[in-house]
Amino acid sequence: MPYLARRLLTFPLILIGVSLLVFFSIRMIPGDAITAMLGTESGLLTPVQRQALAEYFGIDQPVLVQYGRWLSGVMQGDLGLSVTHGRPVLTIILERFPLTLELALLSMVIALGIGVPAGVLAATQSERPSDVTVRIIAMLGQSTPGFVVGLVIIYVLSVYFGFVPTMGSFVPIWVDPLANLAQLIFPAITLGFAFAASVTRISRASMLDVLSDDYVRTARAKGVPKLSVVWHHALPNALIPVVTLSGVEFGYLLGGAVIVEQIFALPGLGRLTLEAIGQRDYALVQGCVLFIAFNFLIVNLLVDLAYAALDPRIRLGAR
Amino acid sequence: MRILKAIVAHPTGRIGAAIIAIYLLLAVCGYFGFTPHDPLQQFRVDRLKPPSSSYLMGTDLFGRDTASRLMAGIGQSFIIAFASVGLATLLGTIIGLLAGWWGGLLDGVFMRSMDMLLAFPAILLALLIIAIVGPGTATSVVAIAAVYTPIFARVVRGPVLTLKRRDFVDAARTFGSSQGYILSRHMLLNLVAPLTVQVTLALAWALLTEAGLSFLGLGTQPPAPSLGLMMSEARNLMQQAPWLLAFPGLTIMLGILGFNLFGDALRDILDPRSQGRSS
Amino acid sequence: MNKKISRTALAGMAAALLASASLALPAQAANLRLAWAQDATGLDPHAQTAFSSLRLLELIYEPLVRHDSALDVVPAVAESWEFSDDGQTLTFKIDPNAKFSDGAQVTSEDVKASFERLLDEATGAAARSNFLSIASIDAPDPATVVFNLSQPDAPLLVAMASINAAVVPAKAVTEGTVATTALGSGPFVLDSWEPNSREQLSVNAHWAGGDIAYDGITISVLPDETAILASLRAGQTDFALINDPLVATLVPNEPNLQLNAVPGLAYNVLQLNPSRAPMDKLQVRQAISCAVDRQDVLDTALVGEGKVTGPLTMPAYASDPSTLFCYEQDIEKAKALMAEAGVDGFSVKVIAATGEPPVASAEAQVLQSQLAEIGIKLEIELMELNVYVDRWLAGDFDMAVAQNGGRADPYPMYNRYFTKAGNLVKVSNFTDDEIDSLLQQGRVETDIAKRKEIFAQFEARLTELAPWVWLSTSNTYTAQLKTLSGFEPSATGTLFSLTKVTLGQ
Repeated sequence: MPYLARRLLTFPLILIGVSLLVFFSIRMIPGDAITAMLGTESGLLTPVQRQALAEYFGIDQPVLVQYGRWLSGVMQGDLGLSVTHGRPVLTIILERFPLTLELALLSMVIALGIGVPAGVLAATQSERPSDVTVRIIAMLGQSTPGFVVGLVIIYVLSVYFGFVPTMGSFVPIWVDPLANLAQLIFPAITLGFAFAASVTRISRASMLDVLSDDYVRTARAKGVPKLSVVWHHALPNALIPVVTLSGVEFGYLLGGAVIVEQIFALPGLGRLTLEAIGQRDYALVQGCVLFIAFNFLIVNLLVDLAYAALDPRIRLGAR
Repeated sequence: MRILKAIVAHPTGRIGAAIIAIYLLLAVCGYFGFTPHDPLQQFRVDRLKPPSSSYLMGTDLFGRDTASRLMAGIGQSFIIAFASVGLATLLGTIIGLLAGWWGGLLDGVFMRSMDMLLAFPAILLALLIIAIVGPGTATSVVAIAAVYTPIFARVVRGPVLTLKRRDFVDAARTFGSSQGYILSRHMLLNLVAPLTVQVTLALAWALLTEAGLSFLGLGTQPPAPSLGLMMSEARNLMQQAPWLLAFPGLTIMLGILGFNLFGDALRDILDPRSQGRSS
Repeated sequence: MNKKISRTALAGMAAALLASASLALPAQAANLRLAWAQDATGLDPHAQTAFSSLRLLELIYEPLVRHDSALDVVPAVAESWEFSDDGQTLTFKIDPNAKFSDGAQVTSEDVKASFERLLDEATGAAARSNFLSIASIDAPDPATVVFNLSQPDAPLLVAMASINAAVVPAKAVTEGTVATTALGSGPFVLDSWEPNSREQLSVNAHWAGGDIAYDGITISVLPDETAILASLRAGQTDFALINDPLVATLVPNEPNLQLNAVPGLAYNVLQLNPSRAPMDKLQVRQAISCAVDRQDVLDTALVGEGKVTGPLTMPAYASDPSTLFCYEQDIEKAKALMAEAGVDGFSVKVIAATGEPPVASAEAQVLQSQLAEIGIKLEIELMELNVYVDRWLAGDFDMAVAQNGGRADPYPMYNRYFTKAGNLVKVSNFTDDEIDSLLQQGRVETDIAKRKEIFAQFEARLTELAPWVWLSTSNTYTAQLKTLSGFEPSATGTLFSLTKVTLGQ
């Protein structure tokens, strides 16, 4: 499959571009690991002390030398050592990734679980009150900033129910499924709210589209019951754009949801990257961004492949 | 004009257009100082007052009038949203046009760079830009534009690829029209519809992004009012002064809603076949 | 769905989730659940300076001496100490019960190795500058350590009461493991640390300080203080550090929570840059000082949480603020001073760090509005903390809103900024012969009454020359469940008295 080969060939190029961009831009920000660790006290350091710390943090070499060293490490699967965590970058990322992955999956389940039925309902009831209601809610969902939803959820939970999801550390699903769900369900709802809104809108639009297609009309004319037409004939085709949308959105979510992770104190990839930037932990920032970009590329490739597989009218490479 | 009429006739487009018109009016009033109070003046004896006849939407921590700040804030948020989407449209269109028209290596380089920006986590991209340059209105504009440029480049490149194989372009070429003429005359005209729709929707997203950046303390700088900044200043006052969160929150929601409704209506009118197809 | 039903159903669901979450924990030891918004940045007690790092390391390591909650110096690893009559020798006797958490005795060799490490430039310890008077260290026997000083240094003992002067095992120094493995003689042992997520501490069975009423501490990092409050409210956190006064003022509204507020030693200040015109003119700086209404800044930006202060924040030395130059706002005088200086209004930029302290932006906004009254136009530049630190250290600002750390003694607090040889003179950009000489006198004087007099003069002169405009102290806050008892807050912010806490219930 030449298309797939061509796509895969561009991956390293894009990733090198991303790594260059992050490597040099993070070093252009004023301040370094020394000021990040010591704050204003770093002004008390003597030149010898400063040099000793720069060596310790690996920032005493020229930037190009640092990049060459880092890149050759990456080629051998070594993303370097985080100076704040004192551990390999890859190990830290892989520890944080399960949370991000699960949160993304859970949000997608919520979004599809609510969005698709709501969209189908709205399409079949087109222009009736239930359609209008669904559309208004979906519109509002798309128009509300995530941090508002998150803050309101935490406030309501803690004030009215005396409950907050476990914060600070992650309870993995293989350790305790129920506690894991209790921890992630509310952040997932926060993320899933806007996500569900887009899914609803796109399912509705695409369902309307398909319902007006000839083969659906033929089926109706042949006396197939309406529900059966909707669920068996129309839905599979109507789902194609939904798959694309959720795939792309999922790709974004795998990059971590900075604000939601911040509000719910979840140790995910987004916060990891944000904090690494704040602490000028260069190796960790580079590793995170590279990892996120890699996931994004893979997910998008899969989405394109799924799109082609679902819709025979689309030829790969034409997009 | 024809499009405007169609929007007024469109049930939800009408609402969207009305919201945007009201917001624009408020923003203009805010800009020229027709506000109940000076949005920056601190009536420090009247701190954290709930809504009343003298302060329609209450006052903030410094005793500044929320309603006046909202009016000025709409202006600020709109300027950032319009400028960043404008910049993204301009850059994205140029890149998409050139990439699609010339193809080959140029296409490869341009579109892979766009893929690179897309693969870069959006909020982190904005954050890095802001950290390097320092926060401010101009930086917010550049940062948000950087996030949306690749999307416009893609939106433009697709149709250009199709259009360039069409008969009328070949015809223009045989008649000796210059490339510049063909690009600007034929291509751009045909791109107006998909671009307009994308622009309206991007405005809604840009407003959301600006609010998010301000929430993280990276957007507009105090004391200048911006909707996102007002909310982030208000979050720890949620219990004492809920109006400080509620009014800016509703203002942001309504504003974004307006652009979403307007954009949807535009899409229905300009491109009836692909209702909601592209996201 | 009926609203009432849905709410009950939700409550049921939440309760079920809650029950499952608590059942899930194995029937385990009694842990104190602590939360803070900013995590420690490293484990090296000599090199770390961040507030949260110090708070963590104070639970793991011990210095020779420490401050009690009245800021007096009390024994820690050392059981007694003595200055020689000429003030040039300081001798400590080490507590025979002091042991590291691996059971090894704390000896004078450990103390010697610790201080030599601290003084070694390769360690990169910023606190080194407080110990430069140490010429050599002797360890005549395992329980005695002698510091030979190059000159009398009265504040040395106070400097030693910092976790930056912690005693670490000599073995760890030679093996180079101090920065990576926390092994101290303090009340707790660090079992695990996931930066920016959680720490697990357990009680050090070998600690010389007595029994602790629970088995360990779990620290969670919750970056959003609203979430910390929510977690306390829901009873999922026992004890928390709070930075933002806006959040702190909400704590007393909660029936199950208690707020501990202590005026801290740190001070909020508007730093002027006297090397830049027109702040190079004394009258302009004085005019700014007179135009500022400090109480108003405090009431608005800090919602009244704190106290108006002069340069000295420690109760033993602080003067009554009302006796200091222009501490009552006086716009007329300010305008007259401006006229005298021949300056008719000007524009300057003021830098402030985002969220550090949380009130920085609010302070800048109130100051902006106050200074506008005498024609000074402030433009606020808010920036990320590290960017700010870079500009601040380079002295690259017209004015800066800052919250600078305090000490229990005036000399180590200000010698860095206002002595001619101070490390941070390029930050203050200000020297004055009399100020310099007062600080030097205060350093060598050992008589408390005389020191008080010297520093009162220092404080009066400094506020009159107005290189900076000192505003207020901030409170140091902790919040806790009411079921917890025995915590004594301290102005230094230390959490050491968690060792005396009982969990209740």
